[in-house]
Amino acid sequence: MTHTASLTEIREFMIQHLTEVFSTMLSMTPETSDHTEPPQAANRVTGVVGMAGEEIDGVLYLHLTDEFAAKATAAMLGMGPDEAIGEAESNDVVGEITNMVAGGLKSHLNDMGAGCAMSTPGIIRGSSFVVETVPDVVRELLGFVCEGSRVLVELHIHSKGKMA
Amino acid sequence: MAIRILSVDDSRTIRLIVTRSLKPFDCQVIEASNGEEGLAAAASEKPDLILLDISMPIMDGVTMLTRLKEDEALKAIPVIMLTAEAGRDNVLQIAKLGVRDYLVKPFKDQQLIEKVSRVVTLAKKPGP
Repeated sequence: MTHTASLTEIREFMIQHLTEVFSTMLSMTPETSDHTEPPQAANRVTGVVGMAGEEIDGVLYLHLTDEFAAKATAAMLGMGPDEAIGEAESNDVVGEITNMVAGGLKSHLNDMGAGCAMSTPGIIRGSSFVVETVPDVVRELLGFVCEGSRVLVELHIHSKGKMA
Repeated sequence: MAIRILSVDDSRTIRLIVTRSLKPFDCQVIEASNGEEGLAAAASEKPDLILLDISMPIMDGVTMLTRLKEDEALKAIPVIMLTAEAGRDNVLQIAKLGVRDYLVKPFKDQQLIEKVSRVVTLAKKPGP
């Protein structure tokens, strides 16, 4: 059975799913927050996964500080506090976390009748970049705080008829 | 003789987690980073079990699994799919391809061990 996917429903699902991903893979508990700006950091690490389907297209960005990305890498790989964390390791971990978050969303959309395919993850690193939308794309921002760091999920959705 | 498990995933992180999870057991983990490498490793190493990701560059897990099942020499190797996509259609598609089981990411080490234990016998490594 299919039904119309609403942004509210997607938002609620994303909060629950990101919490599950962080608690399972990182043993960390993110809290929702009112902030809707990407984390300010000398270097930001952003995981990106694209989704494309007949009913819906979208891009999911997971914005983290480089400090939190390093912390997440150590937690996910079981590294000790003195072990050096390379950029490649950190990119792979952030990519995989983004993949898991997007995979859950893809499954949720699929179960609501808005099936789509998902890209492999990519990483953007930088200090002051802004992601802008093109016309007809809805931008949803979900702020979290985890281990004292800001985490932002930015979702760009282009609906072709099954969103309300 | 140690159990041989082939981990096919484009994420080095996941391959490391698989290796770490299985470290206490008498098994050897072989790694491949896409379906093409996975097929070659399956042919040369003849693993007892394959842990296979779905979404990978070069050759994805569904294509690798399809080719594996078409190969008389390899089709009996049991496969557990690791996927970030738990939707109904995805699970049904995986089931039709003849996998032994599937594990949805995110997962805990213990969940992986339990799934693997249902397919092969994992013996603890002898103590020092």
